[in-house]
Amino acid sequence: MSITAAIACAAVYWCIYMLDQYLLSWQCLNRPLVVGPLIGFVLGDLNTGLVMGASLEAVFMGISAIGGSIPSDCLSGTIISVTYAILVGGDGAMEAGLALSLSIGTVMSSITNMFTPVWAALAPYWEKLAAECKPRKFLIQNILVDAVTALPGVIIIFLGVAFGIEGLQAGLDACPAWVMTGLSAAGSMMTAVGFGILLSMIWSADICIFFFVGFIFAKSLGLSSLGIAVIGTAIALTLFFLEKNIISAKNSMAAVGPASVPGPANSEEDFF
Amino acid sequence: MEKRVLSAEENSVLKKMFIGSHLVFTCFNMTKMEANGFTITMAPAIESIYGDDIEGKKAAYARHQSFFNTHAVAFNFIAGLCYAMERDCKEGKVPGQTIDAIKASLMGPTAGMFDSIFFNCLRVIGAGIGIGLCSQGNILGTLIFILLYGVLQSVLKYILLRLGYTLGTSFIDTIFNSGLMGVATRSASILGLMMVGAMTATTVNVPLNWVINVGETSVVVLDLFDAIYPGILSVGLVLLMMALIKKGKRPTILIIGLLVVAMLGAAAGIF
Repeated sequence: MSITAAIACAAVYWCIYMLDQYLLSWQCLNRPLVVGPLIGFVLGDLNTGLVMGASLEAVFMGISAIGGSIPSDCLSGTIISVTYAILVGGDGAMEAGLALSLSIGTVMSSITNMFTPVWAALAPYWEKLAAECKPRKFLIQNILVDAVTALPGVIIIFLGVAFGIEGLQAGLDACPAWVMTGLSAAGSMMTAVGFGILLSMIWSADICIFFFVGFIFAKSLGLSSLGIAVIGTAIALTLFFLEKNIISAKNSMAAVGPASVPGPANSEEDFF
Repeated sequence: MEKRVLSAEENSVLKKMFIGSHLVFTCFNMTKMEANGFTITMAPAIESIYGDDIEGKKAAYARHQSFFNTHAVAFNFIAGLCYAMERDCKEGKVPGQTIDAIKASLMGPTAGMFDSIFFNCLRVIGAGIGIGLCSQGNILGTLIFILLYGVLQSVLKYILLRLGYTLGTSFIDTIFNSGLMGVATRSASILGLMMVGAMTATTVNVPLNWVINVGETSVVVLDLFDAIYPGILSVGLVLLMMALIKKGKRPTILIIGLLVVAMLGAAAGIF
């Protein structure tokens, strides 16, 4: 389409990508309702931006991103389709733009998948940096890395607006399939390292069975995390009050005198 | 319970934490998810509590670098709670393990609850109003959406951070004064373990796609494992990682190892 528009779109993508993380919580500023009018304003057609933003919001409303994985990126989708509708114009441009938003979504998510293991591999570096106890340095490096994280998306938006999305799709198809499979497999296994570190801190032999109980509740019974939390709280509270009673009974007996402590109380204590 | 008046120091720390807490998703990654955001949010609290105590500071920073993931608003409640706990950790009232356990036990259920309140309810209401106005070309639609969904979440983040802190302080005092901290830690660990188990089931995935052809018959390897118990590979992977970390293996090695295994496996057709 045009280089100027491509630069403007890439800049909007970069700004929104960063701002969505730093302002007003999450998934607010990068929604089509906000990005649509913004792109419209930048390209000089606010009205198309508003109308397209409304239609796109309705499309992306059902596509939720709960749990960290985003099935289709609404930010890039909105930018590409609104730009297309404004720059091409004429009858049917809006419909064509809407259709484009889905294809850019798949390109974007393939590229993002490619980079997922790279950002995940930074985790040990962050750990080491945090242990240096320099919060300002930690903060600045985080923001810098965020800006770099956005770069693949910025480049895709730029190329997509400047030269069309078909070329990108073709380039992506040329990449051997196993590279994509391997990278996405790595991404889905990385979380195990985080859980491993977390578990190593709270694991103890006498209560570790509850790890498996939680797993089975979620996997086999299909309970939601809230449901499992209620059951877990019930177990934890019961144990808490049980042990509390044992401790207070022991204390009151100790107050009466060691001679009056009956045998069973001790064995009960050993049992827990 | 008498209403506690927060000191000027506490107020300033909470304000800094509130600003920092907007970086929940900074450097979000699959290994630790929101850990960096949590570290940044906790930094003002850690600095104010530990001061010159370098060892305590290091331990606290390391503690808040562990895996964390919840909704951005619930995040602030847990951060407030952690501020209260870190303060008592410095005084020796709360062991560090309790903080880990409480964080682990709270993130799952709060994520589910807040995601449905904000993402599936409030956002839909805000977007519904916004779509109506925007489709007529009215910019107010965008503003109302930002106000209803974004600004409201920010306000709630502020309220929940303070709530977490005040609740945490009074709760810990009650538990500590009754001498039940050990018992409470164990209970929190039980809940934490259960929630990590549940999260393992929903987020860790070993996408095995390996079919062995023996003459006429073909064997799907994933089915063999799932016949033992569905998802046993995810549990095995998490436990293996834990065992390696307890043995002192560095996370870097584990992550690079997983990446290599995944790429080689994919090239060989295992994944």
